[in-house]
Amino acid sequence: MSAPAARGEPFGPARLLALGEEAVGRARRAGAAHAEACLESLRAFTVRVNAGAIESLKQSATHGLGLRVLVGGAQGFVSTTDLAPESLDDLARHAVALARFSTSDEANAFPTPAEAGEDPRPDLSLVDPAILALPAERKIEMALTLERAAVGYDPRIQRTDGATLATRDGHAAIVNSNGVTRASSATTVSASVMPLADEGGGKQQTGWYGMVKCRLDQLADVEAIAREAARRAVARLGARRVPTARVPVVLAPEIAAAWIGEMFEAFSGQAHLKRTSWLTDRLGQTIASSLVTLVDDGTLPRAVGSEPFDGEGMPTQRNVLVDHGRFAAILYDHYHARRAGTRSTGSAVRSYASTPDIGAHNFYLEAGTESPEAILAKVDHGFYMDDQGSYGFNPTTGDYSYQAQGFWVERGVKAYPVEGVTVASNSLDMLARVAALGSDLEFLGSIASPTLLISEMTLSGE
Amino acid sequence: MPAMESEPSDLVPRDLAAELLALSRAQGAEFGEIYAERAVVTAFSLEEKRIRSSQYSLLQGVGVRAIRGEQTGYAYADGFDPEDLREAARVAARIAREGPPGGPPRAFAVVDAPPPFVLREPFALALDETRKVELLRRADEAARAHDARVHEVSAGLADSAKRFVVANSDGLWAEERQYLARLTVTAFATEGDVRQQGYATGGGSVEASYFERQRPPEQIAREAAALAVLQLRAEEPEAGTYPVVVGPGWGGVLVHECFGHGMEGDVIRKQSSIRATQQGQLVAARGVTIVDSGTVPHSRGSYRVDDEGTPAQRTVLVEDGVLVGYLWDLLNARLTGQRPTGNGRRASFRDFPLCRMSNTFIAAGQHAPADLVASVPRGLYCKNLGGGSVNPADGNFSFQVTEAWRIEGGRLVAPVRNATLTGNGNDAMLKIDGVGDDLAIEGSTGSCGKDGQWKAVGVGQPTVRFTAMTVGGTRT
Repeated sequence: MSAPAARGEPFGPARLLALGEEAVGRARRAGAAHAEACLESLRAFTVRVNAGAIESLKQSATHGLGLRVLVGGAQGFVSTTDLAPESLDDLARHAVALARFSTSDEANAFPTPAEAGEDPRPDLSLVDPAILALPAERKIEMALTLERAAVGYDPRIQRTDGATLATRDGHAAIVNSNGVTRASSATTVSASVMPLADEGGGKQQTGWYGMVKCRLDQLADVEAIAREAARRAVARLGARRVPTARVPVVLAPEIAAAWIGEMFEAFSGQAHLKRTSWLTDRLGQTIASSLVTLVDDGTLPRAVGSEPFDGEGMPTQRNVLVDHGRFAAILYDHYHARRAGTRSTGSAVRSYASTPDIGAHNFYLEAGTESPEAILAKVDHGFYMDDQGSYGFNPTTGDYSYQAQGFWVERGVKAYPVEGVTVASNSLDMLARVAALGSDLEFLGSIASPTLLISEMTLSGE
Repeated sequence: MPAMESEPSDLVPRDLAAELLALSRAQGAEFGEIYAERAVVTAFSLEEKRIRSSQYSLLQGVGVRAIRGEQTGYAYADGFDPEDLREAARVAARIAREGPPGGPPRAFAVVDAPPPFVLREPFALALDETRKVELLRRADEAARAHDARVHEVSAGLADSAKRFVVANSDGLWAEERQYLARLTVTAFATEGDVRQQGYATGGGSVEASYFERQRPPEQIAREAAALAVLQLRAEEPEAGTYPVVVGPGWGGVLVHECFGHGMEGDVIRKQSSIRATQQGQLVAARGVTIVDSGTVPHSRGSYRVDDEGTPAQRTVLVEDGVLVGYLWDLLNARLTGQRPTGNGRRASFRDFPLCRMSNTFIAAGQHAPADLVASVPRGLYCKNLGGGSVNPADGNFSFQVTEAWRIEGGRLVAPVRNATLTGNGNDAMLKIDGVGDDLAIEGSTGSCGKDGQWKAVGVGQPTVRFTAMTVGGTRT
């Protein structure tokens, strides 16, 4: 099997930029004082395997255009998948017509070439020819191996909820009427599997493990991914509940990363201008243990959260948000930076179908020096949390309260698996109580943390 | 904005549909299907008293599915260029790599199903932009006027108009139009160092007059503002396992997550749900009846036909505590010899259908709601829930509670902030010991995520009491 031959001219960077120029020109002729086109094209392939056979195979090639206009200082936005030249005029007129329903705002503006800085930016190695060249048969074989290895790990694993292998390659372009034109390309490959371990009586335990990477050689061997997922499922067998208690809690890297991800909004310039963040008025203050350094960096080479420029064409950068416990920076897109009298931090994140929003690139807690085992050894009685429910964070208060799974820790080692509990605290309290930081920082996606020890949280159980 | 005057069948001519279906089965697939869609979304957002953004988006294209045995091949094209569609059909067909071509599809027969409710003037078509923006301004003013401690308001109004045609190699041809609207308000309140927020929403598949007559923006805004202000004096929840009463309406998200997902045909066929072997068994307390219905009037989760062309229906999942039925889409019904229940749904033409719930609810019981609270010596009353999730394979579920009250001696004594409910879906429905007579179905808010596809759903229940649930909190 091979990728379908592209019809006509492919939607590569050159064609996206040309379409962007076209759309911006038509918007100006339709009456926009300023205009900005954001374009994307994406080819994606996903194979999902279950019970030793392909369950589904999905292949797609998509493209889209988002057109933002300013008329009298007010913003209109349209997006479409219909890129035919005759449709662009309609689109431009819609955008201009819509702008008159928005409020005029002098902070509305698109970056100028002077603000957007030099182009091209340093190469971030976000495109891997090996991913582009990977044949479909090989991807299917990788997914089959991933599932087979998970099932083969232990006799108590007889099936999985599926193994998935996916690749994407895409291009993005920004063109605005100030003369900023930017284009970039990226590839990703991802693999994941969820083995089911039989608990008896119809009950089962799940383990999930997976990762998304920019380059094929960054992806762990699929058999190693399978082993880690299967190890997690089997380790949970026999999970029980524990009594309610205030105890030290060790957050596994993925759980710590999920918390970091929820905290992102508290660092957004929009939340600070609206005064709706639990970090409002705390810039410059100590908000965390001195072990904590929190970074958002769009410039890491070969990282899935990287891009040379953001959703408005501004260069991405490394932003240190918490520096050894001190709240050091707030993140801005162009609009909110103008409102706050500062400059964009290159944090506008979007797809072609949406207006820019302040968002994360590679968002992570810097690694400490201790091994995960050494951190566990500090805990006399406590909880190691390595799975959680999807909802449990309040972005206004920073309150944290999640359904949790993990292990009871007794004298520094995992004693037995635990389920049916919740773990609760408040983010400010948790930040202050970060008592140890692991050396095990690894990016499985774009948000990452090493193992963390929080000296006390409330475990709710029996 | 462009009106949706033309027919869904205009998206793809029948002769091209027949050709694509033949192509999708050219390599031995048993079943072929095309789904052509055009969806227009209009959205306005208000931040800091400004209409920050006015948006319009168009999503259109065709997805082609080929099935052989348990295997699905899927490809799609943005737009309707016949050559792109043929290529998508050829790519989907490759799921079956050997075998004779399936030949032309059976002659199309149009699915004739009654609409679940009549929509005379859909909001998405009838109202002009000036009036939509005015709804946001009214919401903003009402939330601020409600209480001086409300210092900031965000509001959004979005509506969508979508039409699709689905045709398959069995000769099915179905056309559908769907219209949704939703107004959301978030109010932020502050007092001293304490900050809180409250959220409320209205909408569904509603008439143009809905926000004037049934649910004015002022009402939604005041609910959001009242909740934000209430939270300012809310206490920390007590950690532990104790009786919980969940209020009517959106509380039904509990039955959706911790029971409904395990009843979907894919996890039943693959036996990854504990429910797969429980037909005829007691899976909920006596007196508990659980229903999924795609025909609830004006709900986001309702439709005339599902995204595979099967008419929506009312399916009883649990009758008086006993498991009596599952939810089925075409693929899983065919593989297990069941009859489809109209639960094949997809986010858009860019996704293949999955077995999904529509409007899922616990039917009304006998108890007066007040009695369910009055008989609890010490517990938690959850008036409203936020988001929830479940892992169907191990049954662990959790919910954020957006408005809760501590129950002492059968009375609601103090508001409680940021509680989380958790338990295991395998036995949660068995822990119900009282079902109220006040059934309400919330059809304005819900979106459910599954395998990366988000789909509008409705949920509902009367007041329901659980003997015990684990409540996450910081007070011990």
